[in-house]
Amino acid sequence: MSAGQQEYKFSEIIADPMIRERWEKVRRYFFLRESTYDMSNRCNIRCEGCYYFTGEKQFAEENDDEASWRQLLESEKERGITFVVLAGAEPSLVPHLCRVCYNVIPLGAIASNGLKPIPKEIDYQIHISVWGNDQTSQVVRKAPDMLVRQMENYRDDARAVFVYTFTPGNIDEAREVTRLLADSDQKITFNMFSAPLGYNGDLRHTTETLDKTRLVMSELLTEYPQSVLFSPYNIVAHTAELGLHELFSCSYPRMNPSTDIGLGKSFRQYRTDLQWDRDAACCVPDTDCDDCRHYAAGSAVVTARMYRHAIDPVTFSAWLDYVDTYLAVWVRGYQKGPNLCNTFINPPSSI
Amino acid sequence: MNNDISRTITRIAEIIINELKLEDITPETFDADLDLVDEVGIDSMDLATVVLVLRDEYGVRIDEDDYPKLTTVRIIAGYINDKLNSSE
Repeated sequence: MSAGQQEYKFSEIIADPMIRERWEKVRRYFFLRESTYDMSNRCNIRCEGCYYFTGEKQFAEENDDEASWRQLLESEKERGITFVVLAGAEPSLVPHLCRVCYNVIPLGAIASNGLKPIPKEIDYQIHISVWGNDQTSQVVRKAPDMLVRQMENYRDDARAVFVYTFTPGNIDEAREVTRLLADSDQKITFNMFSAPLGYNGDLRHTTETLDKTRLVMSELLTEYPQSVLFSPYNIVAHTAELGLHELFSCSYPRMNPSTDIGLGKSFRQYRTDLQWDRDAACCVPDTDCDDCRHYAAGSAVVTARMYRHAIDPVTFSAWLDYVDTYLAVWVRGYQKGPNLCNTFINPPSSI
Repeated sequence: MNNDISRTITRIAEIIINELKLEDITPETFDADLDLVDEVGIDSMDLATVVLVLRDEYGVRIDEDDYPKLTTVRIIAGYINDKLNSSE
């Protein structure tokens, strides 16, 4: 397959058996409708550049009442939410609340630093944040032996996906970390540090560090295809000079005034006091939208732009790889297939 | 003109029924004024799929920014007819 000037009908694009099979596989998950929830206003570590401890949400009162959470989740289910993301500050500190969420909406993911194991019966995907090797984590996250403890806590745990956040200072360390995780049969995916509003520290990416990250991601995807949940198009989308909003027009409420359909209609980001604010609602609130290359944002924003990718078999294959990756990272039991498009293609503009 | 719209409405209803595997409804009984999001339960990915099939069928491109406006079968039919007429 190669991208050319020919105009394709959608029916022609999906006439390719491999594309059709992948299309049918991913479209079964189009029913997923997400919202996110801050679970606690405490964390057992304090990382430089943490999006949670930026802005007003960190000051929201913590609601520890299981009945209130159950009522909220039931109302969320009622309005069509089928997938929950339990995030800031550290959900593992409130396992009883995570359990309540799981019992009401059984599809979801938890973002955790992995230092306190989440009970097995909470069968959500668990995203364990990794910010370099343990020497770097000690500096940036002020916690010793992080990877060693994370791997021990989630050994042989099919819920676990390790999320390596590339910063300008840890790009080369991704090799060491990926090898360790691959040797332990763990899954790993990649994230890009995306600066919180007002952050101008050393973790903000530059053109040079984006290019270098792209090379290392490519190398690791080639070397560890069974362990690395990523695709060439993920690499392009997350290491481009332009952020996700510029490339794909972010569809989260914070950047999308439409309340008619999609994320603009259904997505909410609840604070620990169970309140939400449409003007602030996105998957990583208080991130600088111009610098946002966050994996969670891309999972929704790139996926939502199916139409503009359905222009030729290569471009649509790249989009399918992205969606296949997103589902494998976020949905328990979903198995990623081999990437269909192994070259870098430029994100198409809107039509 | 009315016949054109009527035919387009029926065909769009048929496409939606097929693509979304809706049961207990036919293109003829599909209420063209039903709100596709609030009453039929279509979301953005469903709509994008339908729009791709419509692009094949009618050869018109539908701007992503126009999706939120396409709230009923009748509105979609009018949108497509306008596009077809403006390209003549």
